[in-house]
Amino acid sequence: MLTAAASASPGLDQAWTALVNSRPKDVLRVLDHDRTSRPERLAWAVAQMSVQPATDDNMRSAESVFTELAGGDDEIAAEAAYLQARLYQLHYAQPDYAKAAELYQALAARRPESHWAQLGLVKLAMLKLYVLPDTTVAGADLLAPAEALLTQIHEPLLQRDLHLQIGQAGIELKQPLKRLLPHLVAADRVGGISGTAHEDLIVQIGVLSLRAGLPAQAKDYFERYLAEYPDNVRAWTIKRQLADAEQQLKAEDSR
Amino acid sequence: MRRRTRRFGFWLLLLAYGVASYWVFTRSTPVINERPVTIRFAHWQIERGPPDGVAAAIKRYEELNPRVKVEQLLVPGATIYPQWMRSNLAGGMGPDLMEWGMWMSGTKDIPARYFEPLTAELAQPNPYNRGTSQEKIPWEKTFHDQLLGPRRDSPDPGQIYAVTISETSVRLFCNIELLKTITGSVAAPKTYDDFRQILAKVQDYARRTGRLIYGLAGSRDNGLWVAENVFSGPLLGVTRELDDPGYLYLYDRNALAAYLEGRWNYHTPAVEAGMTLIQEMAKAMKPGFLQLLRNDAMLEFFRGEAVFIYTGTYDATTLRRMSTFKVVPMRLPSVTPDDPVVGRYVIGIGGEGSGETGVAIYLNRNSAHKAEALDFLRFLTSVPGNQLFTDNSGWLPSVNGVRVPDEIKNFREYQLGYTLGQAPFDIIGSEMNLVWNQNFYRLMGEHGSVGQFADALDQAMPVAIRKDLQNEMRNTLLLVRPQDSIIVATAELAAGPPADEAQSVRQHGMEAGQTMSEGLAFQMQLELEKTAGKK
Repeated sequence: MLTAAASASPGLDQAWTALVNSRPKDVLRVLDHDRTSRPERLAWAVAQMSVQPATDDNMRSAESVFTELAGGDDEIAAEAAYLQARLYQLHYAQPDYAKAAELYQALAARRPESHWAQLGLVKLAMLKLYVLPDTTVAGADLLAPAEALLTQIHEPLLQRDLHLQIGQAGIELKQPLKRLLPHLVAADRVGGISGTAHEDLIVQIGVLSLRAGLPAQAKDYFERYLAEYPDNVRAWTIKRQLADAEQQLKAEDSR
Repeated sequence: MRRRTRRFGFWLLLLAYGVASYWVFTRSTPVINERPVTIRFAHWQIERGPPDGVAAAIKRYEELNPRVKVEQLLVPGATIYPQWMRSNLAGGMGPDLMEWGMWMSGTKDIPARYFEPLTAELAQPNPYNRGTSQEKIPWEKTFHDQLLGPRRDSPDPGQIYAVTISETSVRLFCNIELLKTITGSVAAPKTYDDFRQILAKVQDYARRTGRLIYGLAGSRDNGLWVAENVFSGPLLGVTRELDDPGYLYLYDRNALAAYLEGRWNYHTPAVEAGMTLIQEMAKAMKPGFLQLLRNDAMLEFFRGEAVFIYTGTYDATTLRRMSTFKVVPMRLPSVTPDDPVVGRYVIGIGGEGSGETGVAIYLNRNSAHKAEALDFLRFLTSVPGNQLFTDNSGWLPSVNGVRVPDEIKNFREYQLGYTLGQAPFDIIGSEMNLVWNQNFYRLMGEHGSVGQFADALDQAMPVAIRKDLQNEMRNTLLLVRPQDSIIVATAELAAGPPADEAQSVRQHGMEAGQTMSEGLAFQMQLELEKTAGKK
């Protein structure tokens, strides 16, 4: 397998570092006249899609390189195919979600174990949740197409991210709480979510569990929140919610 | 002899001039005290106190780090700072460290465009805390509120972009002698209705005596702060109803979407109740207060023409140092369910939380001296650095383990209660805030009325709120798009050779954050499409 890094030269490392630091012009300046290897062509195209102002012309130049690279049989091919799909989803002035979905699907079919194919499946699932729902079946389950893709994802962190997205989409699409809650719990179990998203998720599972009539689960999450964030702004309200959960549990026991 | 001395003096002067010219044209740096690295730190806290606090921390830092010079840039906040910040950042000349606030209208895209996430660094202990109570504790957890604001205001849900250096709360500062003269008592109001009664007494006193005295010192800023406080009480119930995601916290995007869905408007009884309270507060200020600035309110208070000034503890040092009378800080009581005017719309007592830290400082992504800037930030928010800031500014610290001076200890006595929404429904978007401000006069004066104000708002808000939600979505995508190339580049650096685990962690963190942000953008897009035809 040839990754860009496997054939890394100091110049290429500098190019990736410049891209990490949002300096695509530096990369173009160096690689505009000399990009013979596949990794160099990938770096040039990535810089081309990032340079400001973003224009469709720039995206087309990047896409022609991605298309050529995607025809190979290495990790660069997977990266390029993934980025080509991203162009259609996000970077062209007018998104083409159907085309992006088609490219994600093709990548997953060709190189199912590649990280970029796996990441593409997460993005494909989100397209299916929000902008490409299955309208051929009346009353179709809105979460099912994304759940079907979940079975093809083997990387735990990406499984987590998709579980979280299915759960959040379930709320937005007004799906039954008991249908979406297992996805939120699954995302939490994988762990590693940082920042306010982590805090929000703990509160969310607690509150939605209480609303769904799952007081034991609600209690667990409220207690966890109070242990992790004892002084936080929501702690006072959560103590009240915890009392409600305990009351519901008592009522269940006495039945 | 004299002539020779004069000639010698002339040549000496000429030589000095030549050397000075050479230095200016070739070096452009001071002749002495030159240090290899200069970092610039810009903020708008030009009140009495903070510049002294930051200067004290800088002095000590420069002693510890002889290579580095830190320049403090004081830029006036309300009017100049946002434009100054944007033009400098856009021109690639932004300072290394900068203050930024979520509330600064028209600048929401700034963190995503120009600032560097600090998440990975915050997970490690702060080396300047060695030998203190915060040693070995991850930097993020050394903050009093574990950086609640920067986590909430992050453009990327998984990342933290700032650290805070202080903690502020809002208080009623009272001219206690004047209060006694007017009411015969120095007791602080225990309930919101007590406060209402005091304001009525002040009005009556002014009418009887002909003295120019108001209950509250008035200005646009102080008016907005007190409005935000009183508006929040009756909104708690509305916020709870709108909390579909179950966060016990209403994000702006959720409040905006709920308006477009028709789930609340400005005639919703609880919202009208909030506006009634705002009207009461406005009547306690001098006519035309909306045209005045925060400094005008301070002067009114210093002249003894207002019993209270409602402001942040960030003004406490100025009030203490400049008043000729005794100033006592008091808490503005929350409106409660037993309030005779609006109580039936209030579900419970509103809380102030446990102290949110503020004065958020960000690292410029394009800084030429990122490592040094980050190092100074670590010092400023270490126990010794933050202690210097607190002792010399009179402001609360943001960091655990810092001793709080006696005179400001009571700023940390917070009202506990429900805190379900971060912003009342006047500042959840910049367009809608503009409409609110343009129509605010309809609530004021003899002929002002809540109904008339609500009519005007509901006429104009659908368009404004739609624009705000579109802007929220656009800003989210603004963050998401450039991440594609950064993620791929980070993956390449992670793969090595040699393999770099830190880059790999960063890559996966960015992928998770990007996916979450994309999800939010999709949700906003769906809301906009769903409500497209609604008025």
